[in-house]
Amino acid sequence: MNWTGAVRTMLVCAILIVLHYTLRPLLAWRASIDFLIVALLLGSVRLRPGAAAVYGFLLGLVADSIAVSPFGAAALAMSIVGFGASWLKAVFFADNLALNGFFLFLAKWIFDLIFLIVGHRAIDPELAMQIFVWSPLAAAVTAVAGVLALSVLKPLMEVRTT
Amino acid sequence: MATAARYGSRVDAGLLVGCVVLSLIAVVLKDEDREPVASALRRSIVAPLVSLQRGAERWRSAWVTSEQRQLAADSIAIRGIKEQALLVENEQLRKVVGLGSRLEWGFVPAEAVHSAAPSEDVVTNMTLTAGSLAGVQRYNPVVAPEGLVGVVQTADPTMSVAILYTSPDFRASAMSADATAFGIVYPHTGRGSAAYMLELRGVPTRVQLKPGTQIFTSGLGGTFPRGITIGTVVSELKTTEPWTRTYLLRPAVSPSHVTTVLVLTAQRVTQGTGNVWGAAVNADSATRRIAAANDSIARQAALIEAQARRAVLDSVRRATIDSVRRSLGAVVTPEAPDSAAGRAAGVLSTPRMPVQRRDTTRARRDSIRPDTTRKSPT
Repeated sequence: MNWTGAVRTMLVCAILIVLHYTLRPLLAWRASIDFLIVALLLGSVRLRPGAAAVYGFLLGLVADSIAVSPFGAAALAMSIVGFGASWLKAVFFADNLALNGFFLFLAKWIFDLIFLIVGHRAIDPELAMQIFVWSPLAAAVTAVAGVLALSVLKPLMEVRTT
Repeated sequence: MATAARYGSRVDAGLLVGCVVLSLIAVVLKDEDREPVASALRRSIVAPLVSLQRGAERWRSAWVTSEQRQLAADSIAIRGIKEQALLVENEQLRKVVGLGSRLEWGFVPAEAVHSAAPSEDVVTNMTLTAGSLAGVQRYNPVVAPEGLVGVVQTADPTMSVAILYTSPDFRASAMSADATAFGIVYPHTGRGSAAYMLELRGVPTRVQLKPGTQIFTSGLGGTFPRGITIGTVVSELKTTEPWTRTYLLRPAVSPSHVTTVLVLTAQRVTQGTGNVWGAAVNADSATRRIAAANDSIARQAALIEAQARRAVLDSVRRATIDSVRRSLGAVVTPEAPDSAAGRAAGVLSTPRMPVQRRDTTRARRDSIRPDTTRKSPT
């Protein structure tokens, strides 16, 4: 990834992070869009797995510091998701929106899974409801929003050769 | 190359493990230990994001508050509308109760459910929540406190269907308030608001009704009892019929406002409704009776006065004639004492000529009799 591409990716990630802290509170949906996951995947596929894990860790720390959730849970989940996304970047780079959407869905669900299990520290019906009902819904919404965001921001991400 | 790749993989794995370990350490830290870290992050790197989030939450809060206020305002408005509807319904129910208390017997109260087919512009029938089990029969009149609504068309055990006066099949024998004009009421064939008007047909040409004249059922035909208000005359309609007039009526009852009605039973129809709606009819007839009585009294008084005046004039004339005759030396016949009274009573006797009576002449003769002048021997 050249310097211009890195700047563009950082810009798009910054936009997505800002959206996460502006649009999401405004919408306040029960199954909300997670723009941080979209930003994480977008950055991770352009980084080495180790760097992606660090990127996820930092992004998770940011999320943990603002949220009331247990500190470190998001960092742990995002580290793993970032590393996995970078490791599977060959698949993720496929120019197929449906496939990208599926991986966004999967990433968000795995993130929620790790985050909830680590955060709750106990298995109860509410956790099961969250994992099997609300998390898939949130993952689906995130996937749709991520695909839309990628489609909109695609011109910004493309590297001009001429 | 392979060594470099292997080295890179190890570095990646090491970074992942490092991140995971740090995360787990953060997770297992006590609150008092991890709060300073989180607080430091919030005050430094994450501060712009915190500010953005706070602003968004404030916007959200303002929007929700505005929505709640709007909802509250809407609720108040809806409550106000409902209250108004309840007031109207209460007023109508009071009127129905009043009508029921005036009727006293021979009626079945029922709720009216309007049923208009989608293709119909005008409501022509309504479903009533009382049926034959409650005493409703076919052709029973359906009335409201304001007046006539329609007639029962079908009566099922628990419900019945009534046609309104807007139905093309509706007919009612009607009359004016003073019972001088009779006719048949038909629904008016018009569109829009005119579709709810009525026509009074078959009124004789010699009878002219003024706008505002109230029209009641006449009781002819036996379907409707006499005296139920139908409506008021609006204007005369031009028709081709030379011997009858047709009038446009404004109905007393608006079908859309009718929610509760009374169905008059057949026995009540037979025995009449008395002074329930027909206050105007009875008042008019009473007024006419009073006026007629006043007229006859005045006429009689005038007659008596004229007769008395004539008797006085006769007495004066007779006295004048007598005095003239007396002055001329003619014999004056005294007037019979009851002659004036007799004349005043209307028994006009033929003028009697003065007749010379024997006692009168005798008296006169006596006045010159010698024995009256003759002195007594004593």
